Amino acid sequence: MKNPFLTVVAAATLAAVTLTACSDPGAGDAGEPATASDWPAQDADLNGITLTVWAAQNSNKVPESVVSAFESSTGATVDVVTIPDPYEQSVQTKVATGDKPDLAFWQPTASQLTALNARTNLQPLDGAPWLDSYSGDLRGITGILDETRYAALITTPAVEGVYYNKQVFEQAGITETPANWDEFLAVARKLKGENVTPFFDFGAGTPWATQWWVQVQLADAAKDGLWERVNQNQEKFTDPTIQKAIDSYQGLIEEGLFNQNLKTATFEDQGAALLAGEAAMAIQVNSFFGQLQSLADTDELNEKIGFFPISPSGNVGTFIPDQSNALVAFRTGDAEREAAARQLLSFWLGDGYAGFVEAQSTVSLQDAVPTPAGVPQALLDVHASLGDAVGSMQALAVANPDLYLNLGDLIQGTKTSQEVAEATQAQFAELAKAIGTEGF
Amino acid sequence: MAVVIDRALAPPSPSRPRTSSGQRAAHDHPLWFLIPALAVLTVFFVLPTVFNFVYAFTDWSSFKSSISFAGLENFRSLLSNGSLADALVVTMVYAALVAVFQNLFGLVLALLLERDTAVNRAVRVAFFVPVVMSALAVGYIFQALLKPEGALNQILGFLAGRTVEIAWLGSTTWTIVVVALVHAWKWMGLSMLIYLAGLKTINSEVIEAARIDGAGWWKTFLAIRFPLLAPAITFNVATALLGSMNGFDIVQATTAGGPGGSTELLNIWVFRTFGQGLFAQATTMSLVLFVAVTVLAFPVIRTLRRREDVL
Repeated sequence: MKNPFLTVVAAATLAAVTLTACSDPGAGDAGEPATASDWPAQDADLNGITLTVWAAQNSNKVPESVVSAFESSTGATVDVVTIPDPYEQSVQTKVATGDKPDLAFWQPTASQLTALNARTNLQPLDGAPWLDSYSGDLRGITGILDETRYAALITTPAVEGVYYNKQVFEQAGITETPANWDEFLAVARKLKGENVTPFFDFGAGTPWATQWWVQVQLADAAKDGLWERVNQNQEKFTDPTIQKAIDSYQGLIEEGLFNQNLKTATFEDQGAALLAGEAAMAIQVNSFFGQLQSLADTDELNEKIGFFPISPSGNVGTFIPDQSNALVAFRTGDAEREAAARQLLSFWLGDGYAGFVEAQSTVSLQDAVPTPAGVPQALLDVHASLGDAVGSMQALAVANPDLYLNLGDLIQGTKTSQEVAEATQAQFAELAKAIGTEGF
Repeated sequence: MAVVIDRALAPPSPSRPRTSSGQRAAHDHPLWFLIPALAVLTVFFVLPTVFNFVYAFTDWSSFKSSISFAGLENFRSLLSNGSLADALVVTMVYAALVAVFQNLFGLVLALLLERDTAVNRAVRVAFFVPVVMSALAVGYIFQALLKPEGALNQILGFLAGRTVEIAWLGSTTWTIVVVALVHAWKWMGLSMLIYLAGLKTINSEVIEAARIDGAGWWKTFLAIRFPLLAPAITFNVATALLGSMNGFDIVQATTAGGPGGSTELLNIWVFRTFGQGLFAQATTMSLVLFVAVTVLAFPVIRTLRRREDVL
């Protein structure tokens, strides 16, 4: 290099590269995991402190009331920042580059906590003051990774189950909801016999509801430790248990039990179709009900839409807490703000909780706080089914492969059901290996 | 890539007289004037590209803090599970389709709007508007238009007198063509502009001579104007081909890689994999994309430039 200037530039580039090449920008200088955290009083003075909360497009209104109550009681400033969809990907990308909020909405499952590298990035919430106020088993249901609690559950976790149109059932003379998978299919076939579309699902865009059809069929196996075996690589997606569930989903499609436009329908079509009675049933989660709530008021929903959980042998739901159900607190390295973040959580699930469930019109998770009157019956049924629900793949498996996308390919005909299982297993193994799971 | 292309296609600058150039150049425009531009280039282009090479050989993921060397492991897994081949084929087909459509539309528009009338000027602007529109907006608009119950089918239904329910974005074979058409539609205004500029540079005496020799419009176009458009074609084909290999936004907004993965470009795959937390695998794939674009860019540009030599 004759040009001295170019030499300097090259040398500087090389130096910059060597200095930073192999350090994870997301790791920061978090150091050792914190041990027992102290929990400030809920109304401790926080003047001059600004907290940032990341929320998704469908959860950014959730904190509104509780945040303003917190601000006026402590003097803190809380910024709720909306992170664009796809939320989880955007947050992971930001955290990977070292950008962290104080709090964020996050799916409290083990696989998603792993995806955030919880041990390094998140504050442990063991010994939090609100834990004893949870009703029933809710305390231990989710939010825990490797025996450390990282997420605070604020609303009732989503459950995979069947949303159905009550009026369509009535017209077909169906008075009892099915008590197991076989009865569920019998009802579907009866409806089809009367020229009603039994099931509605969507294969266009991001076909994320496809996986519920496979997962609810695995409820019994999940109770029996299926996902633990999958996590240890002792059982695979290609082994009979999961493969059969995929095959049976394909069978239902081939039998013509789904909507005619399955390949091109979208999430928005699903809600409209169920509400209008164009289809009788959809296996879905709570966010689907949120979609219905945007289309109809509580009275109409109570009149038209019902919910029952389903599993091969009975009415066991499959729970899948999602991003709008819980919050995580980040380790930002600023002790004052970290404490303030914990304080906001204790206020949220403490003095502020009654106001929060009232403003959100949602089911209360605490015995001491009553559920407000305006909550639709279907949501109450969903919450009631949590008691004996089993964990979904997302809740119990170490990684979350793109099962729904592969099933979308099945709908479109670009993958056979064997290929779906193979592709999902390959992705799962790839993720498990990256996570450092033993056996992969 | 834009940087490379611009440099490759820029007309050679007139060389300065060599006498005492060193002295005067150092005085007129000292090299340190370059530092701001070079700094930006280094931070936003050189460094990421270098990191792209480095991280492709590591096990960087969102799941742990440490990053260790993984050798060719990422390449091996991409090759063995077939995702590399699939995404590469889809990307190449898409790029080729876009290059053909975009140039065809651009050229036809340029020929139609060649004369400088007031109407033509307005219409040129209209066709250029999509170029400056947000690609995501374009994608979402077309997604709505092309739905089975969307506007296009309703128009067709009105004309045909019966209900039309074609799932334009629902075919695992043809959707890639539809999306390539959308991409070409968005960028055809730019091609049109460059072809217009190319047409304007053709010496009117040559055209006149051809006309006196009795050549009609079609003959003139084939024998004289089209060959003389070679530099514009070089630029347009190269930018369309290489730009659409880097395509993401329009496809993400219309099909998100579906149906059945039939429009999953390399970049969509990279986005999805990065979102799963498998940063190293995503980086490896984007390295593959970088290499593919580079490997393709040089022969394509060289071949197209050679066509210009006849001028």
